[in-house]
Amino acid sequence: MAMTLTPMEQFEVKPLAGMDHPLFQIAGHPIYFTNQSLLMVIVAIVASLFLTLTVKPGRLVPTRGQSMAEASYEFVANMIHSATGEDGLKFFPFVFSLFIFVLFSNFLGMVPGSFTVTSQIAVTFALACLVILLVIVVGFMKHGIGFLKLFVPHAPWYLLILLIPIEVISFLTRPISLSVRLFANMLAGHTMLAVFAGFVVALGSAGGIFTGLAIAPMLLIVAIMLLELLVAFLQAYVFAILTCIYLNEALHLHDHH
Amino acid sequence: MAEPLQTSTEAPKQEGGFPPFKTETFPSQIFWLVITFAFLFVVLWRVAGPRINGVITSRRGAINSDIAAAEKARGEAEAASAAYQVALAGARAKAQGLAEENRQTLNAEIAKAKAAAEAEAAKAMAAADARIATTRVEAKAHVVKAAEEAAIAIVVRLTGETVSPAEAAQAVKES
Repeated sequence: MAMTLTPMEQFEVKPLAGMDHPLFQIAGHPIYFTNQSLLMVIVAIVASLFLTLTVKPGRLVPTRGQSMAEASYEFVANMIHSATGEDGLKFFPFVFSLFIFVLFSNFLGMVPGSFTVTSQIAVTFALACLVILLVIVVGFMKHGIGFLKLFVPHAPWYLLILLIPIEVISFLTRPISLSVRLFANMLAGHTMLAVFAGFVVALGSAGGIFTGLAIAPMLLIVAIMLLELLVAFLQAYVFAILTCIYLNEALHLHDHH
Repeated sequence: MAEPLQTSTEAPKQEGGFPPFKTETFPSQIFWLVITFAFLFVVLWRVAGPRINGVITSRRGAINSDIAAAEKARGEAEAASAAYQVALAGARAKAQGLAEENRQTLNAEIAKAKAAAEAEAAKAMAAADARIATTRVEAKAHVVKAAEEAAIAIVVRLTGETVSPAEAAQAVKES
């Protein structure tokens, strides 16, 4: 098993053992229940149970779990409030779900042997497209065709010839930057961990003095693991705050400039 | 489409390529993402969110009502303290009034007593003066009589002649 382990193998999406046959097909595409599907189901259930069961209505002095649930709630609420203002709070359920989904995916992906849902560009890009679609829908619902003023900054007309295409391109690349940022961070971190884990195995099985040297990459793994815990939270935060910033633009156009 | 995915369990390396870019896995990924994210969204939107919000709101309410109660209690304490001060000031003023009144009545009584005593003393003095005057008159009369008698006796002893009291009185008066 250790022989076939490569740093990239952990990102392989494959049907769970014994579920090699597609469950059904959608437009000719077979749908499997994969290792990633399992982790997404676990993420959704663990997050739902955690945020529901730790909180008891009427318990004013919180337990440790309730305190964490409340802290995450208020963290996101304050984030939306500071980034978009009062009227952004109606998007709270969406931003909260996004943050919690990414956060739990990142953290549960840190458990050895599990799978990191957010290390898949398909997932992060789908989430980013959801955000941008929401931004576009909200923008047009709020401002009608005036939403297109988002692409027209306050500048002389001869500069606009240059600026409008830049604004349009920057808007269109948002789903890419949003999704690649999360995907690449998770992928890089987990690849690094796997590479150093490979060193430990290689040195450990080399014999002689090398066996003792295996402690060096082992310590590095511990250090990187701590760093990855920070990155796991940070990337969930970045994903959520950027969502808020994009929603703010849809709601208020360039008002805050 | 399903073929490479099925063989991937046996020999993942044979296909080559970067796992996250294997497009044949995308439909399954998107499908399960939609299911799980929608589930999470509905749970957080309908159950967890309102639940947490309820706790936070009720705590805020409890804290605010406690603060309001404390504020009210403080107001009451301050009002009681103010009332106490007012009562104290009133009692002090009343006590001062009573003391003043007492002093005035005492002063009046003292003045009256003094006046009465002075009047009595003046009366006594006048009576004494009168008595002194009568005594003086009487004494004077006695002195004259004694002188007359002495004169009669002296004349008798010196001359052997008797003089009438009237003559003696005349003589004393002239001397």
